[in-house]
Amino acid sequence: MNIDEIFDYTSFTIDREPHIVLDAQVCVGCDARGCTNACPARCYTWSEEDQKMTFVHDGCLECGTCYVVCHKKAFTRWRYPRGGFGVAYRMT
Amino acid sequence: MTKSFQAIVVGAGPAGSSAALTMARAGLDVALVERGSFPGEKNMFGGVLHRLPALEEVFPDFWDRAPLERHIIKKGVTFMTGDSSFNTTIEAGNFDTPPYNGYTVFRPRFDRWLAEEAVNAGATLITRASVDTVIQEDGKVCGVTVLDRKGELRAPLVIAADGVLSFTALKAGLRRPTFDPGQMAVGVKALIDMPHDVINDRFGLVREQGFANEFVGCTEGVRGGGFLYTNYDSLSVGLVFHLASLKESGKTPYDLFNAFMEQPQVAKMVRGGKLLEYSAHLIPEGGYDMIPELCGNGIMVAGDAAALCNATGLNLEGINLASHSGVLAGRAAVEAHQNGDFSRKGLARYRELLDESYVMKDLKTYRRAPKMLHNNRIYQEYPEVVCSVMEYLYRIDGAPKENISKLFLKTAREKVGLQNLVADGFSAWRAL
Repeated sequence: MNIDEIFDYTSFTIDREPHIVLDAQVCVGCDARGCTNACPARCYTWSEEDQKMTFVHDGCLECGTCYVVCHKKAFTRWRYPRGGFGVAYRMT
Repeated sequence: MTKSFQAIVVGAGPAGSSAALTMARAGLDVALVERGSFPGEKNMFGGVLHRLPALEEVFPDFWDRAPLERHIIKKGVTFMTGDSSFNTTIEAGNFDTPPYNGYTVFRPRFDRWLAEEAVNAGATLITRASVDTVIQEDGKVCGVTVLDRKGELRAPLVIAADGVLSFTALKAGLRRPTFDPGQMAVGVKALIDMPHDVINDRFGLVREQGFANEFVGCTEGVRGGGFLYTNYDSLSVGLVFHLASLKESGKTPYDLFNAFMEQPQVAKMVRGGKLLEYSAHLIPEGGYDMIPELCGNGIMVAGDAAALCNATGLNLEGINLASHSGVLAGRAAVEAHQNGDFSRKGLARYRELLDESYVMKDLKTYRRAPKMLHNNRIYQEYPEVVCSVMEYLYRIDGAPKENISKLFLKTAREKVGLQNLVADGFSAWRAL
């Protein structure tokens, strides 16, 4: 079993409009950046070189981990995707 | 356009659909609002569906009609290290006799079916509807608006069953604006395709018997554990982590999951399986102390939204508590309509019903369990003690044996420390 491809096995209906918006400036001053390791969908990447946080909403599993672990209140928007968009579990 | 109902339920999961079903069967005009394109689309769990005493009253043939996978006849706990494991299992004849103690289910199927039953009872299901605002007038909740849709849904009563983060409860002022990562856990899970007969042979099952196993010591010291459940022709395998501990560790859920799947004993259980789906969800594990305000003017909170989840380490209960609270909120809603009183006071009946039920009684009984489980030793040192003592006991190589209790104490002293051992024993005894 190839677990490396684990993310490819989940279906999504991707919305153009992100349901989570980050003020990446806030992340620069964060001492923990728990989102980068705790997010089960690898949505957050911190670049040490560029001192920049990148967030991609495409593969978001809508679990809420980032909403809970972020203690810097970096989100200017955190809501679930519009109706019909986002992750679509088939059986699980 | 404004649509009016006698009650609005936000979220068509087990709590919401149980509430909608209860109210619809009592003749109320109910809207059941769901953000997914079908109920269950956003839902996963790692677990077992147990008996639903309140729902069974409203719905006597529930177990004959629900879409179920396997009934659990065998439950196990595995203490695990990187390459060893010590298992305890209980297989009881009574678990194989109806009414069964618990079933594995697929949420996208089960939740969809339960919502359809609410619709059959007369509820109006509105899918693809993500609730945006909670309408409040004169300090009373009286409806909701839906993101990207014009108009309002109005009702004198709203039930927030919108899951663990419940933005509905937040907007109505019933939950605190931030969560404590120490009270939350995240679960990740892979669904693994495996033929029915292979599962039966591999786990010692026949027919539609099922096996549920929990693992400790498989999270590289992060507070949490693993699980493996058998479905009809697939396995649900995953890990659960306390968020505060995961955050602090710097480790990622998928790397830990990868390592878990490669642990030699786990690898044998999942061998030959094909990955079908990966999912993740938060679990409100703070127990009794995490419960928000349950009633406000024109609003009640049920299920995960109300943090009704019991995680004692041995049993993990969520859906049963959600459904129970949904039925009770539904009953309180019916009474509120009879009395014409939707104020916080008028809805306090819901809290009363919950307090009298096993839901609150159990959460109170195990009130100390979440704190007891915030002990890193449980997740690394103790599984190591168990495995190394057992390995020593079974090894026969000509070396003279030590007395078992002395050996246990010696190993525990080395790995845990005697003071910790006494303190942890006392804490567990008090909590459970």
